[in-house]
Amino acid sequence: MPAICILLLLISGCSKKDDDGKSGEMVLRYSLISKVTNIDPGNIQDVYGSQLVSQICESLYTYHYLKRPFEIIPCLAADMPVISEDKLTYTISIKKGVFFHNNPCFPDGKGRELKAQDFVFAFKRIANVKYASVNWGGLKDYIVGLNEFREYTKQFKKEYDVDYSYDVEGLQALDDYTFQIKLAKPWPQLINDLTGVVTAPVAKEVVDYYKIDAPVHPIGTGPFKLKTWQRGIYIELERNEHYRDDFYPTEGELSDIENGYLEDAGKQMPFVDRVIYRVIEEYQPAWLLFLRGEFDRLYIPKDNFDSAVDIVSKAPKEFMKDRNIEVTIKDQPSLYYLGFNMKDPVLGNNKPLRKAISFAVNREQINELMYNNRWRIAHSLVHPLLDGYNPELAELNYMAYDLSKAKELLREAEKIHGGSIPPLKIGWPGSDPFSRQFAQLIQRQIEKAGIKIEINYLDWPTYVDMMNKGQHQIFGSGVRFSSPDPLSVFSMFPTKYFAPMGNSFFYSNPEYDALYERAEVMFPSPERAELFHKMEKMVLEDYPAVFTTQRVQYNLHHEWYDNYKPHPFLYSHVKYIRIDSEKQRAYKELLKELKKKDQ
Amino acid sequence: MTAYIIRRLLYLIPIVMGVLLVTFCLFTLVGGDISQQIAGKNADAETIAEIRHEYGFDKPLFLAWDSQFLAHFKKAFTFNFGRALDREKIGEKIFRGVGPSLALTVPMFFGTLVISISFALIVAFLRGTVWDHIIVFLCVAGMSIPYLSFIIFGQYYFAYKLDWFPIFYDPSRPIYLSIILPALIGIVAGLGSNLRFYRTIMLDEVRSDYVRTAFAKGLTARKVLFKHVLKNAMIPIVTNTVLSIPYLILGSLLLERFFGIPGLGYLMIEAINARDFFVLNAMTFIMALLIAFFTLVTDVCYAWVDPRVKFD
Repeated sequence: MPAICILLLLISGCSKKDDDGKSGEMVLRYSLISKVTNIDPGNIQDVYGSQLVSQICESLYTYHYLKRPFEIIPCLAADMPVISEDKLTYTISIKKGVFFHNNPCFPDGKGRELKAQDFVFAFKRIANVKYASVNWGGLKDYIVGLNEFREYTKQFKKEYDVDYSYDVEGLQALDDYTFQIKLAKPWPQLINDLTGVVTAPVAKEVVDYYKIDAPVHPIGTGPFKLKTWQRGIYIELERNEHYRDDFYPTEGELSDIENGYLEDAGKQMPFVDRVIYRVIEEYQPAWLLFLRGEFDRLYIPKDNFDSAVDIVSKAPKEFMKDRNIEVTIKDQPSLYYLGFNMKDPVLGNNKPLRKAISFAVNREQINELMYNNRWRIAHSLVHPLLDGYNPELAELNYMAYDLSKAKELLREAEKIHGGSIPPLKIGWPGSDPFSRQFAQLIQRQIEKAGIKIEINYLDWPTYVDMMNKGQHQIFGSGVRFSSPDPLSVFSMFPTKYFAPMGNSFFYSNPEYDALYERAEVMFPSPERAELFHKMEKMVLEDYPAVFTTQRVQYNLHHEWYDNYKPHPFLYSHVKYIRIDSEKQRAYKELLKELKKKDQ
Repeated sequence: MTAYIIRRLLYLIPIVMGVLLVTFCLFTLVGGDISQQIAGKNADAETIAEIRHEYGFDKPLFLAWDSQFLAHFKKAFTFNFGRALDREKIGEKIFRGVGPSLALTVPMFFGTLVISISFALIVAFLRGTVWDHIIVFLCVAGMSIPYLSFIIFGQYYFAYKLDWFPIFYDPSRPIYLSIILPALIGIVAGLGSNLRFYRTIMLDEVRSDYVRTAFAKGLTARKVLFKHVLKNAMIPIVTNTVLSIPYLILGSLLLERFFGIPGLGYLMIEAINARDFFVLNAMTFIMALLIAFFTLVTDVCYAWVDPRVKFD
């Protein structure tokens, strides 16, 4: 039997022989707290997938890495789009001399040049009903002829059987380097959507060659290509040796020079040779590995926050300073809330009850106990980083904590209900200790106002399923916004977007709907901003949810991790990062010295 | 004996059929339709319908040639379990996880077994002495400490502070380096309950007349304990040991998660979290087969270790 054990160990040990320490190589090492489940650009929906695939696949546009306010700039496009007067036709010229990664799906294994047809194919693929893309909802009804193409694809058995030569009027490759999109109605957010990896070009050869396995072969034009994907464990990217000319920005904010963000200005990117992601779902090992210098950057686990950062000065504590570890703060445009199901007979017709619950929730306490005071209290729907943020709303106290007012409102609510309010049920995603503590805190806060609360801890799929079917009474949720345009905030409330689309509250207000219809097709303007302000107040006054907090992420990184400037909308940041190898090597010596001191 | 084995193998057929029926009911009827989950939070009805079609959820449940129930049977009997939700072939996923899981659990299992049986014999021999009391106390203390505490302490102290072992599995290095610490933690954490269990068995034997006779004949303690007592205590040991073997394949959920061992325990919990019924179904079926097989092996072993047991 011992022989069998040894054999098993040897067999298992033969899985991979590579290391991350080849001399002279710059290797970036990250930990992921959740596994990446999808690496197919057309079907990506989550942040982790986007973060990974954005290093491999590029889109037409991207955000300027350093400039604030956020600015969209060409990536694979040669220039900004030429938009027709009626705002319905976008003509985009494509950069020449951009090549797909080398891969066996291309003749001789050499990546061919990117062409406008690859964008047409990528859009059609998302529309292909057999491909079942989770992102179809974002294109539906917008592009001329694309809905018809989707109908046409229904006759085929498999995704890769579909004949993509079917002409879609709204998606044309005018020549190899000119891509044209014709819209059925104005779509002011199109340019924002063209920065996302979902709209990245796809070479038809990939789908023809890999067929059913195409989704696990993301072949793009990006600075890195996928080398290894051990699902749920390990991902390795390596530098694309044929990457196009792409230079580090030469301008940014005024403070960027003094912060050292422009030291690499004008240099060819990417700087690192390989990128390694290790999936570590438990915080302790990730934290220990970071302290050991085996990760370059780390999201600070809740339990380690107090030992890492002084929340008042927002600076690293002595223990971190001794190790030359730095802190970066990333404000994430987001909104967390306790949503009310407006179809629920108890809550839907009882605004004082919803208002009472909102006044009973102590957001400051949530922030203190659950987030180490890291997060931001929400005073509005629109996050301060989004266009059209209205700071005046903070004065109006829609999100105030006032227990006596909550009790007063409850009495009013009971009159409307015709008796005492029955216990209300909150659907809560997750049952891990953090989720339980969080839900129980909310429960205690609301029960102080005299409203009984029951918590229904659910696994994520059941929770989503119940939310889409309107089966929750109250639900804990949150949303992260992927562009500075605030329209996505307001698309959470129109009647036409009832769940499974964005409106999980089943909030319905004809006046709001009418304003949304107008604003939806408007380009940014003072008039649109005015509409948004009205709509925001309308929602806040109707209390379809208890809006609580907005996420602020604190990260630690070692001193050798250079050029990192947090950007809430840009996922393809890895190419900008440089590793100072000397400082990295010196860290081991530093740890030895610190150990001696401790002894 | 051959007839007995054949008869028992034939009994396996209805057991396996029953398992398939139960897993089908559990995952398909009770678990519900997971198309919405696959389609994502904001998917439209058309996309959901397409996913239902792709996974065969739109087929009749039982009474048809292309029913979901028959497809379930076919997958199980051909060991072609299809693809997981992340599109990887389930067979490949499981095959890849078996090695790391066994690499962790086999040394853990035999380490715990050998140490706890040896100590149990000694403690049984020294019953009532200070050493017996100390060891029993340590066993109870060990059983009272949560498994997670062993892991957190072991990882922090031996891997991080003392730097004797890797903190987490790194695929660029041989896996055995990352197995040693979790295996040791598993052995230490499991010693308390195992030692107490085997001590009880040994005590029953040590008090027997034949042991007194053996000592009276002048045999050495070593000979009495390892030749006579151990042999007579084999039936409960075999039952406990052989029936544990199928679970070795499942790995150790917490250890794998904390040390990043890419085994089947990790795979199983991932599948549960993701509601990947395809993977869970396959794992349940394989486990059922293994348990049924090892129950048969246990019965055969009884006859091997105890001549009083006869097959009828």
